Amino acid sequence: MAGGDGDKGRPPAKKHKTAGPARAAAHPVDEDDFDDADDFDEEVERETKKRDFTKLELKPDHVNRPLWACADGRIFLETFSPLYKQAYDFLIAIAEPVCRPESMHEYNLTPHSLYAAVSVGLETETIISVLDKLSKTKLPREMIDFIHASTANYGKVKLVLKKNRYFVESPFPEVLKTLLKDEVISRARILPEDSQGAEAFNISKRVSEIGGGHEDLLNGVDLAVAAEEKETHSFEIDPAQVENVKQRCLPNALNFPMLEEYDFRNDTVNPDLNMELKPQARPRPYQEKSLSKMFGNGRARSGIIVLPCGAGKSLVGVSAACRIKKSCLCLATNAVSVDQWAFQFKLWSTIRDDQISRFTSDNKEKFRGMAGVVVTTYNMVAFGGKRSEDSEKIIEEIRNREWGLLLMDEVHVVPAHMFRKVISITKSHCKLGLTATLVREDERITDLNFLIGPKLYEANWLDLVKGGFIANVQCAEVWCPMTKEFFAEYLKKENSKKKQALYVMNPNKFRACEFLIRFHEQQRGDKIIVFADNLFALTAYAMKLRKPMIYGATSHNERTRILHAFKNSPDVNTIFLSKVGDNSIDIPEANVIIQISSHAGSRRQEAQRLGRILRAKGRLQDRMSGGKEEYNAFFYSLVSTDTQEMYYSTKRQQFLIDQGYSFKVITSLPPPDSGAELSYYTLDEQLDLLGKVLNAGDDVVGLEQLEEDSDGKALVKARRFTGSMSALSGASGVVYMEYNTGKTKHGGLGKSKPKDPSKRHALFKKRYQ
Amino acid sequence: MVNAIKGLFISCDIPMAQFIVNLNNSMPPSEKFIVHMLDSTHIFVQPHVAEMIRSKIAEFRDQNSYEKPA
Repeated sequence: MAGGDGDKGRPPAKKHKTAGPARAAAHPVDEDDFDDADDFDEEVERETKKRDFTKLELKPDHVNRPLWACADGRIFLETFSPLYKQAYDFLIAIAEPVCRPESMHEYNLTPHSLYAAVSVGLETETIISVLDKLSKTKLPREMIDFIHASTANYGKVKLVLKKNRYFVESPFPEVLKTLLKDEVISRARILPEDSQGAEAFNISKRVSEIGGGHEDLLNGVDLAVAAEEKETHSFEIDPAQVENVKQRCLPNALNFPMLEEYDFRNDTVNPDLNMELKPQARPRPYQEKSLSKMFGNGRARSGIIVLPCGAGKSLVGVSAACRIKKSCLCLATNAVSVDQWAFQFKLWSTIRDDQISRFTSDNKEKFRGMAGVVVTTYNMVAFGGKRSEDSEKIIEEIRNREWGLLLMDEVHVVPAHMFRKVISITKSHCKLGLTATLVREDERITDLNFLIGPKLYEANWLDLVKGGFIANVQCAEVWCPMTKEFFAEYLKKENSKKKQALYVMNPNKFRACEFLIRFHEQQRGDKIIVFADNLFALTAYAMKLRKPMIYGATSHNERTRILHAFKNSPDVNTIFLSKVGDNSIDIPEANVIIQISSHAGSRRQEAQRLGRILRAKGRLQDRMSGGKEEYNAFFYSLVSTDTQEMYYSTKRQQFLIDQGYSFKVITSLPPPDSGAELSYYTLDEQLDLLGKVLNAGDDVVGLEQLEEDSDGKALVKARRFTGSMSALSGASGVVYMEYNTGKTKHGGLGKSKPKDPSKRHALFKKRYQ
Repeated sequence: MVNAIKGLFISCDIPMAQFIVNLNNSMPPSEKFIVHMLDSTHIFVQPHVAEMIRSKIAEFRDQNSYEKPA
């Protein structure tokens, strides 16, 4: 059975750097087949032919059923089926989306996705019967067995924090008995005072959840919360032993992974926070749906919600906090987003100004009152070094408090060890992670499943585009041929360190960029962001075109001034950003992105950059399909042909292609008739530019490295490093990480080895994961 | 006196011509194969190098194209 990690028996991907002469000899490439695209298509075709589905048995009424289920765990969904919406909601709960183009989606059943399904309340039999109802073919035996095997133990046991007592809860008393046979768990058990014997469990009735809704799928009934009384059995465990009990339950031991839920309505110990959503905050349908997965049974589940950038993740976060109505700790990636989160809380909820405080290196606001919202960064919490007296006090508060909700923004950028640290420091009942790009094959992402919780909901980008909730973006890859002189230098061995600078500074690329800026500024009156990771190129382009730019070293005041001008002045329509603009800077006005250089093959970066222009603009009716403007945002990626950039560019696009986006290739930019009105027209000018690139030191032309020390002061220095191919391409979580100081010096020990529980501070003994 | 040399006429785009020139330059003097550089897109080379150039170009292009892993 194919797992989620891409082990489908295909030959391993071509690795750019390892491709030596020996490899070329082993795989002779058809000589006529030089066209990359053809090459790829043929590869795929050969691949498909290997799969034989003739044994699948069609049901007589297959036309009315929306999906194909294959024995290897893959599921294909027809999006034009009338049952698409219901089938989509169901599939997204039980399977990982692999690729979601317009008419046909591909999903993959994996143990993790099934774990997520069980944790939102679906039961094994429900999954199988609904899948069988929706499938055009008889469900293959293998698939049924796989579902049984994967879900047998998942979700059978829950860890519930009720009135500050930990309970292990399960609808199956026999499972609890199995658990209690384990020495560690039985020792951790606290026997109720009036108990008659060890065999008795507390039995309680509870309201069952979404599960039942799926039964009615074929009758067109949407997911409803079906109220159904169920018996649950539970026993209490010693809070100090929670961590050990959890560890015993992991797949490598007893294999009953625990789900965590927070019964916030019955939590009388922690003070309530009086906050409501303001009436003008109307969650959109998909936001409601993601929240309903989180609060499916009246309790709060921990997990991750995946929504594209610009689709309103913050409203989901604020709504969740408003439902739980307890103290909330909100973690963001940097100081700018801390400000934005604080603003969002004030914007959407009725929280009073004195109930919300920010904690960053510049802004150490004390919190007042019993309950409140604190917004801070991961670095501030996880920082292991010496702190100032002020921050030490605040961090003590954060540690001592019991948080109702731990809200974590952009969970994909934070490495796992940082999470462990943050989660061990803060005691929270419920954890909600938000992200736009859960790049799935990354090992570190799977860690999140156990650190935070399963993926609760993932929106389909194209559906949101159709609904007009996010902008409809035309993506284009502009092919710029290298000029003779630049390519000659590019090929020379002694210039290997300048390759990037050479293909980024390619005069044809510069002209294409200039042409696009002029076209969009003058013909359409658009607001344009130009992204360049390469600082040398960023400076050269911005100076030559006389446009403002922002990079790591730009001061806060300068940034604010430039962004203000960009937002308000009709004269400033283009800004140049280095990778500081990838995540944190919110520029709702922009609707055109031109990317002239990028961080190797990072799919995440590509998606994040696209996210800068996804926020929907203009009037809703124009944006809907069939409206006035088919496309209202443009994403150009300028690529120098015949260089490494082609490789990176294709790789970077994969994530967006899997979301259903298509990239149009443009080969004739600038138009052939353009002449001296664009820069670098004459050979002399081009040679002059070439000279500048070659004379610049190797350290100047490298990538910009951003560093932010853990107490928040930004240190910016250029640094070169050697990395593995997987690191450069974004497959390893270390790349494209802006926060990496401190960990080597201070956090080196804490990140990998959990501390000896006996030495841990009393507060953490209680709960550690 | 006219000297006739048997050779191979290559027609390609500008970057590929540069690639071939670079390849030629990286060879030891005895193995240099370019007979004459006609212009920036046309080259006259010795007749036996066709396969070698093809495979080098294939290798180069291979390095610059990404194939999605399954």
